Amino acid sequence: MEVLQASQVQVLGIDAGGTMTDTFFVRGDGRFVVGKAQSNPGDESLAIYNSSVDALAHWGREVDDVYPELATCVYSGTAMLNRVLMRKGLDVGLICNRGFEQIHSMGRALQSYLGYALEDRIHLNTHRYDEPLVPVSRTRGVTERTDVQGKIVIPLREEEVRQATRELVEAGSQAIVICLLQSHKNEKSEQRARDLAREELKALGVDIPVFASVDYYPSRKESHRMNTTILEAYGAEPSRQTLKKVSDRFKKHGAKFDLRVMATHGGTISWKAKELARTIVSGPIGGVIGSKLLGEYLGDENIACSDIGGTSFDVALITKGSFAIKSDPDMARLVLSLPLVAMDSVGAGAGSFVRLDPYSKSLKLGPDSAGYRVGTCWPESGLDTVSVSDCHVVLGYLNPNNFLGGAIKLDVQRARDHIKAQIADPLGLSVEDAAAGVIELLDLTLSEYLRANISAKGYNPAEFTCFSYGGAGPVHTYGYTEGVGFKDVVVPAWAAGFSAFGCACADFEYRYDKSVDLGVAQLASDEVKAAACATLQEAWSELATKVIEEFVINGYKPEDVMLIPGYKMQYMGQLNDLEIVSPVSTAATAADWQQIIEAFENMYGRVYAKSARSPELGFSVTGAILRGTVVTQKPVLPEDPDCGPTPPKEAYLGTRPFYRKKKWVDAALWKMEALKAGNHIVGPAIIESDATTFVVPDGFETTIDKHRLFHLKEAR
Amino acid sequence: MTYTNEQVSHLVEGTLDWDTTFRMLSMPKDNERFGQYLAALQSKVSFKDRIVLPLSPHMYIVQSAKTKQWVIKCDCGHEFCDYTDNWKMHALIHVRDTEEAMAEIYPKLMAPDTNWQVYREYFCPTCGVMHDVEAPTPWYPVIHDFEPDIEAFYKDWVGLPVPERAA
Repeated sequence: MEVLQASQVQVLGIDAGGTMTDTFFVRGDGRFVVGKAQSNPGDESLAIYNSSVDALAHWGREVDDVYPELATCVYSGTAMLNRVLMRKGLDVGLICNRGFEQIHSMGRALQSYLGYALEDRIHLNTHRYDEPLVPVSRTRGVTERTDVQGKIVIPLREEEVRQATRELVEAGSQAIVICLLQSHKNEKSEQRARDLAREELKALGVDIPVFASVDYYPSRKESHRMNTTILEAYGAEPSRQTLKKVSDRFKKHGAKFDLRVMATHGGTISWKAKELARTIVSGPIGGVIGSKLLGEYLGDENIACSDIGGTSFDVALITKGSFAIKSDPDMARLVLSLPLVAMDSVGAGAGSFVRLDPYSKSLKLGPDSAGYRVGTCWPESGLDTVSVSDCHVVLGYLNPNNFLGGAIKLDVQRARDHIKAQIADPLGLSVEDAAAGVIELLDLTLSEYLRANISAKGYNPAEFTCFSYGGAGPVHTYGYTEGVGFKDVVVPAWAAGFSAFGCACADFEYRYDKSVDLGVAQLASDEVKAAACATLQEAWSELATKVIEEFVINGYKPEDVMLIPGYKMQYMGQLNDLEIVSPVSTAATAADWQQIIEAFENMYGRVYAKSARSPELGFSVTGAILRGTVVTQKPVLPEDPDCGPTPPKEAYLGTRPFYRKKKWVDAALWKMEALKAGNHIVGPAIIESDATTFVVPDGFETTIDKHRLFHLKEAR
Repeated sequence: MTYTNEQVSHLVEGTLDWDTTFRMLSMPKDNERFGQYLAALQSKVSFKDRIVLPLSPHMYIVQSAKTKQWVIKCDCGHEFCDYTDNWKMHALIHVRDTEEAMAEIYPKLMAPDTNWQVYREYFCPTCGVMHDVEAPTPWYPVIHDFEPDIEAFYKDWVGLPVPERAA
């Protein structure tokens, strides 16, 4: 019975990316398999099914008998994002303040260059506005004004709301969004407008939803709040249909679990959740969550998470066991007010195109990339511009006959010819040196970026462990970590499916935020402190209702939910706030307030410096946060017995010529799956598996530990 | 990076898709572009004379098919003058120097004071297309705005042979 239990498949993580859909299955004993399949934007559920079949084939098992065993399944994908990018959402109507009808289209001006590389951002000709989610023709202004203090200075003209509602219905609106100025400060006018719109719709006999920004995202910053509420109306319902389709297919194959979706705040939410806009970006977040869990296993509190894919290099930092949250991020070229796991990204990846500037003769990487078309080394790609992958193939980093497990065959000569014509000849270099120059440039770009990201935040790389994942991560790990001085460098054997793994690690967690404005002097009276606590508590109670409501939709009882209050605080007059997990579960007294500011001051001292603390300025609370979680099944890591430093014979696959530092050497080839815990490998070596290639060049060595994590070191 | 002749014609027409346009804008300029650009312009005009350099959306310096002289020519085939001359001196001119004339194009009180600034509009005498508008002070001479060094441009900038020119 024990054995049967151990072999049950318990957790499934899904990362439905733009080109590949990855699935990650974990058994009770920590064994895992990764599956890959071509994504299918028309029916994501089919790609997930195919990917599952691919994964489970490693165990010789069938989808129909594994799905019913699963306890947990987490989905992350690009369905919502694509819907927004392709502008395939509902026809939304918008009611805003009169005179502000164009605000949404104007996108704070900065939406014209969001997501651009720096050189394009400062090149005004390239700036361009995307089509707005709501056209001006379906926008109506109503007379009303609430000032910045929340005082109603012009009452809502109710008849105008009714009129606007009628016109928006007439114009074909499928949903109505209401967002009035300062409604996060005083929600009265907006709520009144919402009720009027609903009454009017009822009178018209029209059944369309009304979204008021205060009911969803009551946060300051008008464009952010308006965009987010519109996004909810525009994309959430259609996305829910996509997720329902996925859920239905699981049910068809006997699944008993309730599908959950990765959300921007780093927790997972149900596909039935009220607020789905926050699932707009989820894939890259999975990696950060997975890193956090691995860090807990390894006892590492400080982690630099690095994810290198085909088009970009994403970096996130975990410090003292927690990741940072950004509260007004931009996504899909929209400014939004959603809590998002903070990540920094540079547009250079393994598939980036490589070009020579015709004037300066310098190499330029990206910003565009070959994506799933790999490079000129894949004859069917139709590409004729050299990519980074071409350089890898020419230099022996990648196995041309085993790319993606042999799914496509790469043509080394074709890549050589293109590199020769486009880069080597114009620079007067050999093909090898030109290709190696490209790799060096990429490695340098990435390691500088990584180093800058850590030191700019005031940390020392020596206190960090670097986790490297993503399909192309392990090829570059040595390159972008060399000389940075990390405490340890870790490459998981399942690097290619790491985001999917991370999703499976995430808590079932809802998080709601609300802006509050509290200012309390350092030496304020106890009454003032208690009053501040009362305001904060009121916000928490309001958010708690929303969080519990979400769990009730999924059949949980309110008492199953663990509530974790938090707040955002800053010294009065400073510009940046810090997010703090509250040391008190409820706030009422001056003593509670004291704990609240102590927790803030400790965090401040840790993030900046103890000597920079400035309690004499007084304290401001800018936001209330409430997270609620319930217990879920998470993946466990494998625990393998130590088999000593010598790898087994069957893992050895021979050698391959490998070019680095101006000479060809014979790199030993190893099969990743056949390596055992404790095995030690000294470079030059290349460790291959179907989904990823781990390069250990001359001067590096690696050991695989009992959790199937590779630790990469510079040999002394 | 290279583009097809079709893409360059779309660029000239303003119908090129945004992704390609964006790439053109953000990458270093492709070497062949000027030749392709001229070819796209040449295919739009009905005259036989070879376009040497575009001057404005409807005006070119061309090499006369008959005499090999370089002259300034309108889309419609109207010939203005030698390429070193100021073509404006050979165009029809409409000057807006009264409040009434300004009121035709601006709302009341939103036009410049014509004692300080006037508009001079230059038209083709044959087809009537507007080639340029100047906004100088009233007494200012007709501006000769562009005297290109075509030899240097062809030889040193785009690396093409300079078209033949009869004196």
